[in-house]
Amino acid sequence: MSSVASTARGTSYNTFLLVPILLFFGLLTIAVVRSPNLMTSSGIGSAEIVVAPLILSTYALMATALAGRATVDLSIGPLIGFINVTLIQIHTAGVISSPIAVFAYALFAGVAYQIVFGLIVLWVRVQPIIVSLSGYLALSGINLVILPRPGGSAPEWMANWGSGTTIFSPSIIMVAIATVGWLIFSTTAFYGHLRLMGSDERAAYTSGVRIGVVRIGAHVVCGLFAGLAALAFTGLISSGDPTQGTTYTLIAVTALVLGGTSLAGGRATVFGSLLGALNLFLIGYVLSTFDFGSVQGFVTDLCYGLILVLSLLLTVALPYLQRWLRHVSPLLVFVVLGLLFIGVALHATFDYATLAPHAGAASAPAPDRASGNQDNAAPPRLPPLDPGAFAPVLEQVQEGPGFARSLLSTRASQLAVLLLAIVITLRLMVWQAGKRRMTPLLYAAIGVGGLLGVWLLMDTGVFVAKLGR
Amino acid sequence: MADSPLFAPLTAPVVRPLRWIGLALAALIAAIGAGFGFAQGAPTQYVIFTTAATFTLTLWLWNGFFVRWIAETSLLSRAAAERAGRQISARAALRGFISGNKGVLAGLAILIVGFIILSLTLTGFLTWANLVTALFLAASLVFTTVTSRAFGDNRSAFIGLMVLGTMFIVASLHVQGFFSGANIKSMLVFAAFLGIATVGQTLVALLGGLDLSIPFLIGSSNVGLLYLIGLGIPSPIAVILALVVGTAIGFLNGLLSFPLQGQALIVTLGVGFATSGLTQILTSIGSSFAGNVFGEVPKWLSNFAAMNGVTFGIAIPPVIFVWIAVAIALIFGLKNTVYGRYLYALGGNRTSAQRIRISERRYWYGVFTISGFSSALTGSLLLGSSGGGFIGVGDPYLFTTLAAVVIGGTSLLGGHGGYGFTVIGVLVLQVLTAFLVGIGLKFEWQQFIYGLLILPMVALYARSPHIRTQI
Repeated sequence: MSSVASTARGTSYNTFLLVPILLFFGLLTIAVVRSPNLMTSSGIGSAEIVVAPLILSTYALMATALAGRATVDLSIGPLIGFINVTLIQIHTAGVISSPIAVFAYALFAGVAYQIVFGLIVLWVRVQPIIVSLSGYLALSGINLVILPRPGGSAPEWMANWGSGTTIFSPSIIMVAIATVGWLIFSTTAFYGHLRLMGSDERAAYTSGVRIGVVRIGAHVVCGLFAGLAALAFTGLISSGDPTQGTTYTLIAVTALVLGGTSLAGGRATVFGSLLGALNLFLIGYVLSTFDFGSVQGFVTDLCYGLILVLSLLLTVALPYLQRWLRHVSPLLVFVVLGLLFIGVALHATFDYATLAPHAGAASAPAPDRASGNQDNAAPPRLPPLDPGAFAPVLEQVQEGPGFARSLLSTRASQLAVLLLAIVITLRLMVWQAGKRRMTPLLYAAIGVGGLLGVWLLMDTGVFVAKLGR
Repeated sequence: MADSPLFAPLTAPVVRPLRWIGLALAALIAAIGAGFGFAQGAPTQYVIFTTAATFTLTLWLWNGFFVRWIAETSLLSRAAAERAGRQISARAALRGFISGNKGVLAGLAILIVGFIILSLTLTGFLTWANLVTALFLAASLVFTTVTSRAFGDNRSAFIGLMVLGTMFIVASLHVQGFFSGANIKSMLVFAAFLGIATVGQTLVALLGGLDLSIPFLIGSSNVGLLYLIGLGIPSPIAVILALVVGTAIGFLNGLLSFPLQGQALIVTLGVGFATSGLTQILTSIGSSFAGNVFGEVPKWLSNFAAMNGVTFGIAIPPVIFVWIAVAIALIFGLKNTVYGRYLYALGGNRTSAQRIRISERRYWYGVFTISGFSSALTGSLLLGSSGGGFIGVGDPYLFTTLAAVVIGGTSLLGGHGGYGFTVIGVLVLQVLTAFLVGIGLKFEWQQFIYGLLILPMVALYARSPHIRTQI
């Protein structure tokens, strides 16, 4: 079938996003069922400060991966570490402390390094992966020279970044700004040139794109994101650490690939990278809710590797599934699964109060991975849900006195979610009916069926008893 | 030589002074070497032998390549100028010289500026030994870049050998006992491990892929082998078992990554993570030491790979001979067998290779299977060398296998290079590491310099052409 014809019949060319979306909601559901306090203000808060540096470094990699020539910047991790330790040392020396100076320094350092990187690729003309390998070794060595062991302290105004008690932490604001920034960036002509150069450099050159300028531009964008990632990382650990930043290289590259970015260049979406980074975080989070004793770390390695390989294989299988998935819009999948998830999350968070015997087992405090349990040592059993997240759904629920909800109000909230899900799905069906077949109906059926199934299982306690050891 | 047809025109006035300069240079270098030898108190016969060797080698390189190159280019340019019927102005000649030798001039400038900065900042840096080293490096840089133009395909091998020789001489000047049998033996043992581990990486790179599972497979086979021996399985059978499992995982790598060739890097990384996790779970079930396996390494295995090993009465561990045998077999095989030629054909151009009915799939599976085997072999040998199982034993090989392949000059895009190049890359890396350790640098400085040096080394010969020449 020619591509023109398939486009005319409404083929979604972002089909590769389906894998990260499915994985994301699968993992998120398990995470919420296993550890309901993820969906609390402090749960989300502490999760997002851990995941923010990963998201931002994945964005940084995305900018250069888009430029082609297999530019996977292996040195992103050491670069984050480098900005972190130099920032801490400069701050300790008393040179800079104001927020503007710190931000300016971090962004400048990232951009300067990346410009040097880009110029070497342009002028010396060695393969970018060699330059990044060289940078990886050089920077991880010099980091240990600058700060031999973890220590130092971040500026005072950064001290509470790592506490993660609210949803609107500075880290997540940086992620939001970066995401919106990328979306704006992707509407520019420069972005078009970048994609053209990434998918076929010769074609770009012959059609008059100034590939040197475009390549340097991609590195500048990468440097900006790297600077932001370093700031989020500094906020997370509130000190300097010469070696921990280096670990971001492998996980950021993995997140990038999980998000459907082509390492050969020319194809990347900010949505995919975001989901890829979140997926990686969730894999670790879900595994940390199980207790494997002394082999915990090995089980994490195993699952991490398996999920990586499996999701990549799913990407391979996509063209074969294309016959059925051709009319599937990733956006619609996202919305339907999102609604399904909100239902599950509400159940996991609120129904456990009514299932008192199981509640203790299921809401065992999840070990916090990286943020060091400063404030999560004793999470409240049912902490107040941040009203911003589920405001439209929870209006009826919030009326109850305090948080001791009756069975009736819980049922009401469940019903409201279900009704909302059906209404939105129907609306989407009508919207899409003009150009697509009736596949949305299939989604709605699966979604509603799944929701009911989970609801029934949880009400009878079967689900909880099974998963809760 | 002078009456061969090629060299007949070279008896021109250009050449004769160059020959005399070469003789003087060789004598000077030999004299410096002899002086250092006596100053360090080496045995007299050693000094005489090395002096003679240096003299001959320098003279050979000078006459064989440098003189020939200068004479040819000068004759050619003169002939061109005569044909055009005009005199080349001095200015144009200078401009042509600069644009023709950008790389050398930049390298020299960096060397001189770096030397000045280091002498100004580090007290006690400006010594005679360092000055001689810097001059030697500069001379070697000019000589290497200029003479290498006379080489065609094997240019990277020549440059690699020159870098190796230069570094070896510099290291011998600066590190006491660097040029001794014991040190060379220990360097060769470590080079043998790295060399065997890079067999797979080289073959995979020839097809245009990358295998990142090597370090994990090395660690897994290291731990798994000791665990198997601890279970009471006879050690030869345990080794064979470990190798078979490693080979199977290599095949799995190939199987999974074939449909995902652009992302072979990530697939193999995922397989590697899964393998190392699974191995550790299996080995630590029922033991309280998660991740560590204790046990006794069989005698024959430690003799095989440890520094004090003996091969049929020769005091050299067998692993070195194994590496040499593997290297010879691979270099010969890649060049002269159908399998080897087809591998290059596939790496060079997939479509054309398919047109002459070469199975892409079979070769892809094959190189990854070999990679799994060589990683498992390295892990088993490292067990003999270290005497204890440790999952992290493979970690340094993540980047060094890649660096050795690249420094050797094998293209990561496939189709160009070979195991002979990788051997040079492995040796360069090993000599560099030993030198940095020898002059007493701390680990972090070593890593820093290591990172900074990879770039210029690769830039010497692995530069890709400008985009406008690729259209």
